[in-house]
Amino acid sequence: MANEGTHTETLAPVESHLFENRLVDASQHQTSSYATTTSGPEAVSWTVQSSTANGVYSNPTYQYDQHPQPPGRSVQEGQSVSSVAGNTSNLGTANAPQDYNAYTSYANSSNPYGYGSSTGYSGYYNSYQQQQPNHAYSQPVGAYQNTGAPYQPISSFQSTGSYAGSATYSSTYYNPADYQTTGGYQNSNGYPNQAPVWNNGSYSSYSSHPYTSYAPDSNSSYSSGAAATSVQYQQQYTQWADYYSQTEVSCAPGTENLTVPSSSTLGCPVSAATSGYATPNNQPPQSYPQFWGQESSTPAAPSFQPAAVNSGDYDSYWKHGAQTSSQIIQTNPIQPNYQSHLDLNSSYDKFQDQQKTISSQGTNLYFPLPPPPPPPQQVNPAPLQCAPSLDTKQVSKFQIPTNPRIASNLAFEQSKTEKDSSTSSAAMKPAYIAVSLTKPTEKVSSNDAANSILKPGIFPKSLRGYVERALARCKDDKQMAACQAVMKEMITRATADCTLCTRDWDMEPLFPMPDADAVNKDNSLSSTHDFVLPKSKKSPRRSKSRWEPLAEEKPVDHPVPISNDHPVKYSSWVPNEKDRKLVVENKETKEDSWKNTKFSPLLQRISSKAPQRPFKKQRLADASIAHENSNASSDSDKEQSLGAYYSAVNDTPEELKRREIRSKRFDLGQAQRTENNHSRKKNARAGNLYNRRASALVLSKSFDDGVSKAVEDIDWDALTVKGTCQEIEKRYLRLTSAPDPATVRPEEILEKALLMVQNSQRNYLYKCDQLKSIRQDLTVQRIHNQLTVKVYETHARLALEVGDLPEYNQCQSQLKALYAEGIEGSYMEFAAYNLLCVIMHSNNYRELLSSMARLSVDSKKDEAVKHALAVRAAVTSGNYVAFFRLYKAAPNLNTCLMDLYVEKMRYKAVTCMCRSYRPTLPVSYVSQILGFSTAVPSIEANDEKESAALEECLEWLKAHGASIIADNNGDMMLDTKVSSTSLFVPEPEDAVAHGDANLDVNDFLAKAPL
Amino acid sequence: MSYLSMGEAHRRITEYLNRFSDAVTYQNGVSFKSLFALSSNSHFLLSLADALALFNDANRLINQNDNYSQFSDIIVPLFRSLQHYKQSNFVETYNAFEKTANAFVQEFRNWESAWALEALFVIVYEIRVLAEKADRQLASNGKSPEKLKGAGSLLMKVFGILAGKGAKRVGALYVTCQLFKIYFKLGTVHLCRSVIRSIETARIFDFEEFPKRDKVTYMYYTGRLEVFNENFPAADHKLSYALKHCNPQHEANIRMILKYLIPVKLSIGILPNHRLLEKYNLLEYGNIVQALKRGDPRLLRRALQDHEDWFLRSGVYLVLEKIELQVFQRLVKKIYIIQKQRDPSRAHQVKLEVIVKALKWLEIDMDVDEVECIMAMLIFKNLVKGYFAHKSKVAVLSKQDPFPKLNGKPVTSV
Repeated sequence: MANEGTHTETLAPVESHLFENRLVDASQHQTSSYATTTSGPEAVSWTVQSSTANGVYSNPTYQYDQHPQPPGRSVQEGQSVSSVAGNTSNLGTANAPQDYNAYTSYANSSNPYGYGSSTGYSGYYNSYQQQQPNHAYSQPVGAYQNTGAPYQPISSFQSTGSYAGSATYSSTYYNPADYQTTGGYQNSNGYPNQAPVWNNGSYSSYSSHPYTSYAPDSNSSYSSGAAATSVQYQQQYTQWADYYSQTEVSCAPGTENLTVPSSSTLGCPVSAATSGYATPNNQPPQSYPQFWGQESSTPAAPSFQPAAVNSGDYDSYWKHGAQTSSQIIQTNPIQPNYQSHLDLNSSYDKFQDQQKTISSQGTNLYFPLPPPPPPPQQVNPAPLQCAPSLDTKQVSKFQIPTNPRIASNLAFEQSKTEKDSSTSSAAMKPAYIAVSLTKPTEKVSSNDAANSILKPGIFPKSLRGYVERALARCKDDKQMAACQAVMKEMITRATADCTLCTRDWDMEPLFPMPDADAVNKDNSLSSTHDFVLPKSKKSPRRSKSRWEPLAEEKPVDHPVPISNDHPVKYSSWVPNEKDRKLVVENKETKEDSWKNTKFSPLLQRISSKAPQRPFKKQRLADASIAHENSNASSDSDKEQSLGAYYSAVNDTPEELKRREIRSKRFDLGQAQRTENNHSRKKNARAGNLYNRRASALVLSKSFDDGVSKAVEDIDWDALTVKGTCQEIEKRYLRLTSAPDPATVRPEEILEKALLMVQNSQRNYLYKCDQLKSIRQDLTVQRIHNQLTVKVYETHARLALEVGDLPEYNQCQSQLKALYAEGIEGSYMEFAAYNLLCVIMHSNNYRELLSSMARLSVDSKKDEAVKHALAVRAAVTSGNYVAFFRLYKAAPNLNTCLMDLYVEKMRYKAVTCMCRSYRPTLPVSYVSQILGFSTAVPSIEANDEKESAALEECLEWLKAHGASIIADNNGDMMLDTKVSSTSLFVPEPEDAVAHGDANLDVNDFLAKAPL
Repeated sequence: MSYLSMGEAHRRITEYLNRFSDAVTYQNGVSFKSLFALSSNSHFLLSLADALALFNDANRLINQNDNYSQFSDIIVPLFRSLQHYKQSNFVETYNAFEKTANAFVQEFRNWESAWALEALFVIVYEIRVLAEKADRQLASNGKSPEKLKGAGSLLMKVFGILAGKGAKRVGALYVTCQLFKIYFKLGTVHLCRSVIRSIETARIFDFEEFPKRDKVTYMYYTGRLEVFNENFPAADHKLSYALKHCNPQHEANIRMILKYLIPVKLSIGILPNHRLLEKYNLLEYGNIVQALKRGDPRLLRRALQDHEDWFLRSGVYLVLEKIELQVFQRLVKKIYIIQKQRDPSRAHQVKLEVIVKALKWLEIDMDVDEVECIMAMLIFKNLVKGYFAHKSKVAVLSKQDPFPKLNGKPVTSV
């Protein structure tokens, strides 16, 4: 809610010029309140909603979570576009009174509304926001007005021409609020009129048959407002009646409305909402393509649009078919949605009836306003943000599970919108994102599919299926539009023949695909996935607070940081999605499933992501096309090499084509890159390689789905990088992208590099670095031969000498694999190392056993392996004498590995000796047994050395807490009894805070021979 | 194969489908489980496989009737699996059966009671067995065997479903045991830990409430894990439990238990009767027991060498190797007894050179230092009471109980 407040502020200036509003509120807050109110308050409750509508988002929260009871739910979207300003003002006033009434009653209960704050009606909003829940009502009034305004704009969008009756109804739809809202709708035209009507008729009547009363009112109002326009309202009213009776559902629709605000530009009409009312309005029968386009472009449309959408393309079709007058048709679709809650059948009938009647009447003029004033279109970002977030959360859940298709569509749309918004925003104002009206219809198509799904009823199911099938073939918006046109025609004809319901649409052959430029298919595809995943942290909190005054949580002051960002826009779209889903949900669940709030954040995130991606892709694709010619040679090359794979994959030509396009994208990138760095000739080759790799990747991916075997048939050798770098020395750098052949050394150079390292006098750090880069080049070029083994062996030995176990382990594991391939090397030596390593460090008996079990009879005869096995036995049995003898006699680098265990073994030995020997033990003996001095102390020549070793042993013993005494001869003796209780393991002197001395660079450099 | 008419094929498939839906309807677990037991090679399933081979349109039959079509996710892949099984194409059999299992688990989750537990067991079992067969086939084709691994993660999922509260929990131990089998086969024993933890820390469910067969299996495997950890008292407890509760008719199982229990018992100083080794064909341990009795390190080393592979593969090699210290204890004890017979007053002083001489006689080449080390270790590990005088190279034994018996306690340093 806080957001809303902010919005209002920001908006205010804008509004002054342009009225934009998205207010959707789902004021429904408290279903309970509704129930109670019914008698008198009913009106109030509704009003509240309407007010909320202004506040937009807040409503959704209310509605969804808490009340499953649909009653109040209708969300009004007040997305008003300021364009209508003049009218709106009037309307607003008219509405206001009504609203107030309603509000007052509600006010206490339903404060959440605070929403109102949203857009255009800066004044209203402000007041609303501040008031927040409590005051909401009064403000709401303003909101209503606002709503009215938004609607008008909306209408204008749709109207693009079709609806002569300008803006009138726009506001109408909102559910409970609806009533009021409806008034609002008319606002532009007849708000004043409506308002009174509503108040009088609707409120009073509510208790009894509010609907009926409403219906009339609405009609009247509508007619008054926009005489020219559509009949939809009436229908809606009827629906409302149904809703009320059902109570449950209505709310959901309202929520939908909320989303609308974002769409302020286009969506407004749609917003209507809550109950299907709004929706019907939205769809401008006549200008389908345009209409959709607008919606898509404008995020605002959300809920309404959904409804509208449902009816949307399909509807439009239907409409056309059934009635020449487009408006009527729209209403029908809406009804079905609403009805779903109620009785579908009955509703349908009604609808049909209504349609007929309505058509003639053309009562409702939802989108009367023709082209909205271009400038006004700014969408209030702030409101959008808030609202979307709330709405999305609530709604998102539904949507996601229910209509994957829709989601995808939405994403698609969003992406476009994003673009638009970005451009517009740049031009206009940072804070708010302006959505340009100019948006083309392209996006709309996606909605259609969804719509088809949503509408259960009016037309025979089979027909809907037919339409869906037909549309499913469409690859892009243009095609979609073309298809729609064809289908419209068909349906009209069928209606004329009276065969609409009798024909077997399931069997009907699909008409031939109309011509359309295939563009952007990828976009729609790519966007779909994302929706499912995200989860929002916020949502839970939100759900909790729904009923509470939201404003408190979010301070009004809060500037909406997002306003400029695309995310905001996306979010605005999200509402639409939600709305749609909501509609669906309502039908399906018949309950308020608003609990779902969690998802909303996800959606938002998704939405924000999705748009970008397609965009990027598109660009890439374009680029690739552009560059196609320049790369011709490499392409053909690639195609040849790929031919085999393709054939293996058993793909349709289309699939092949698609893949080619995909792989070309890579080509492009590669080509460009290479051009930058290298000579032409080189480039060609590298490019090919690159292409091949890329295509192989693509292939392997596609194989995953289907034929998994084929992966093994890929000739990876043909795709391997062949290095061209001639420099011997190369620093190691972990690859973060595909290797560049220009920086990879070929095998012969690597051999020289290895020699260089082996003969180098520099320190281990340098050698390690060099060896790692050699290893990397080998890996990249997939060289598995004796050179590879040599490199790894060299590195492993170096690492052992320095005690760099992590590096050693890497090499060891590679060597294991290399030896397993049958490449010759110092197998025995490393088998011994491996054994020692397992014994000394992993202390894992199972692993030790398996290592031992793997040794062949031959290898057990090897000196190094024998030694390792003996060490193993000494360690496991604790035979320190044997251990230190083996330590002295270790072949190769076994000593280095044993070194790592010596300290432990010595300590164990001394503990054992102190326990077993009495009374004393000469230090010289200990020194000899524990490997400080050589095994044979009698050699004179070594005297000096001997004494040094003795000294070292003495030091060691003392350091470990042993008690040393001198005997009669002056020889140093270990007092075992005393020592047995005083031994301890001292803290290692070279201990490093992080536990691994090897990680201490200074220490490491100091130790390493330079 | 005798001629199979289309009608007959149709009849068989329909019968299967009827049994399936009846079992579900009446929650008949026994009849239900027989519908999944591929490896039982039951006549019913094999003849169904024939029928399926002939009758191509089984899917239509399934989808015709709502009773079956709701289970089509289970049945369709199951039929496919059955056909592949019949052709001994185990990789495909496994792949299809895995789909069945997944669908079944999904369904099982929704069934309130645990009536289908038996069927779930059968599926879990089949998954493992088929995965093993598939891996064998893959390996023989030079491909990397990976199905068992996949089976492991699938079973882990099943375990997750069962491990909660409620009646289904009874089944958790069965799945655990199948998981053990997989992990031991794959050598990824460390994965057992999480499963064990959830079994043993669940206070709401008494271990004794699990079916006996599962308890025995579980104890066997956890006992083996304890052997790896050289935690002999725990291993002894678990394996003894398994032995005690194991069905005496199942000699193969008893042998498997004894294979680990005997080394464990040896290392805590309890020797088996030779007849036991004979009865269960565990004569590999014969010489080891002999060496212990006689105090003959040479015999022990030879026995270890003779059956090195077998011991290594069983994972008891290291355990047996550690028995050497007990053999040395026995040897010293023998010397002590002989000395006592000659001169009771000086018997508690065992000269190092005597021991070296004895070892020489046994053709074991150890110099004085090494023998001294052995003696120090014997004292250190409390196998010998006394001390060693380095100066005079004499082990001075306690006059009271110089060679304490282990009596079921492991060898430890004091």
